Amino acid sequence: MSPRAPAGPRGTVGLHEFIVMANEEVARDAYRLEISSSVSQGLEAGQFINVAVPGDASHILRIPLSFSRTDPANACVELFYAIVGEGTRRLSAMRAGAVSTAVGPCGKGWRLPDEPAARCLLVAGGIGLPPIFAAAEMLARAGVRFDAIVGAQTEAKLVFPLIHDLERLVADDCRVVVATDDGSSGSKGFTTTVMERLVSEHAYGCVYTCGPEIMMRGIAAIAARGRIACQASLERMMGCGFGACGGCNVPLISGGYASCCMDGPVFDAKAVAW
Amino acid sequence: MVSGVGMAVDLGGVKMRNPINTASGTFGFGWQLEGFYDVSTLGAITAKGTSAEPWPGNPAPRLCEVSSGIMNTIGLANPGVAGVIEKSGAYLAELERRGCRVIMQAVGHTIEEYRSAVRLIEELAPFVSGIELNISCPNIARGGKLVGGTPEDAAEVVRAVRPLVSRPLLVKMAPVRVPEIARACEGAGADALSLINTINAMSIDVRTRRSRLSKPTGGLSGPAIHPIAVRMVWEAAQAVSIPINGIGGISSGADAAEMILAGATAVTVGTQNLPDPTAAPRILGELEAWASEQGVSGINELVGAFEC
Repeated sequence: MSPRAPAGPRGTVGLHEFIVMANEEVARDAYRLEISSSVSQGLEAGQFINVAVPGDASHILRIPLSFSRTDPANACVELFYAIVGEGTRRLSAMRAGAVSTAVGPCGKGWRLPDEPAARCLLVAGGIGLPPIFAAAEMLARAGVRFDAIVGAQTEAKLVFPLIHDLERLVADDCRVVVATDDGSSGSKGFTTTVMERLVSEHAYGCVYTCGPEIMMRGIAAIAARGRIACQASLERMMGCGFGACGGCNVPLISGGYASCCMDGPVFDAKAVAW
Repeated sequence: MVSGVGMAVDLGGVKMRNPINTASGTFGFGWQLEGFYDVSTLGAITAKGTSAEPWPGNPAPRLCEVSSGIMNTIGLANPGVAGVIEKSGAYLAELERRGCRVIMQAVGHTIEEYRSAVRLIEELAPFVSGIELNISCPNIARGGKLVGGTPEDAAEVVRAVRPLVSRPLLVKMAPVRVPEIARACEGAGADALSLINTINAMSIDVRTRRSRLSKPTGGLSGPAIHPIAVRMVWEAAQAVSIPINGIGGISSGADAAEMILAGATAVTVGTQNLPDPTAAPRILGELEAWASEQGVSGINELVGAFEC
């Protein structure tokens, strides 16, 4: 069969207008953005949208953003982002009522674990929390139990609104563990340290992780040692987000490269040459 | 056409319903854009540069953003002619039937690799309307210097593939020594010239002191290079009598119109496709409106109509 436009399970990637409904700082340099857009209709957990920030012709690329929640009935998408450069700084200045466009739904998202009866482990670092929250909602809907580790450099950078909602999604015998590098909130240290402890206490069926690449490399290594399946959501500088340019390559263990926007952003951690 | 302006052009034997083409490496193999609009409304598409054997391309990061442009060091990653035709051949053949011309781009590291790529395209993709030879690749047999970096080297590779190509042969030039290399390509049998390719450039992360790409240098494209591209298209158009395919930072109908006035018969949208996937049909509409305002009956009348 002849290939068609990149398509997820529910939608073909397209260009969608959006209106900013809310855009507010929820932690140091981290914002919650709520948009109203038809792109909400096709989004699967772990996919992303590629957002244009108007007003500066000298920055031509869109900003790829993963989302935490969608409400297709009300055409809403909730995204969280950190200010990392000029583009996200200008995005943070967009007020309710501002309009722009998003390309999406892009990429391949989270998959349910092969063994739905097994407990899963979610590990988020920094602004990797939004897609991990989307994974949590997907697992909760499927009746899969999970623990979660949420890490950040310091308390001021923890996205508490999302952490509180995450706590509401975990089963009674499961928990959300917060870790900060400086110990200002939760346990002091890295998410990898917490993970070492949790994997010694429970048998996990699958690990879901998103965060800084150096963190995910550590998480993937612990999962591999324990023979636990691991899905990791990667971040790349992207030109298009729909497979046209080949700019967002991810090196593979098998040799060669995969495309982050088409084959990912969620990868089987074992396949990635970290 | 609503405007009544004839938009059809003949790019060295590639008969396009309108002058809009898309640049290799910014448009996948066409089907990636079908979710945004009917790709067959364009005059032509140029498929991603394809080598005889698969090329893995360069390590990450392959892309960075600079003021009014991007830089890349993708390294012509591609699955080889057979891999391309296996996955995208049926779509590309159908696109030709729908009236949009398909141009396959051949790349290589040596003259023999170019010949192999062109032979395979002729054999496995007989439906394509044209073959574009990208002579801006590093020649590994000559210490990595550009395959087409001098008039002599450019003529040598064009002459070497010309007998193997049974359809219009376009040559995509590097943005160096334009008038001389343009004349050399014409003399060696090119039917049309595509220019410009990306401009070799550098961007350094001053905090880490490293290149922002996985190589020290990369190709600059986007609006930043547009005025340079217009100048080079104009120089090439003065130097040769074969048609020019104008490329470089086209993001509006006015940018495309500048290229046509400078002497381009066809205009190719590249980097703008990435952030703005509906750019090519928008630019087509704007170009047609401009031609109508100029009061011509055919867009061809405006080719090279720049008044000094």
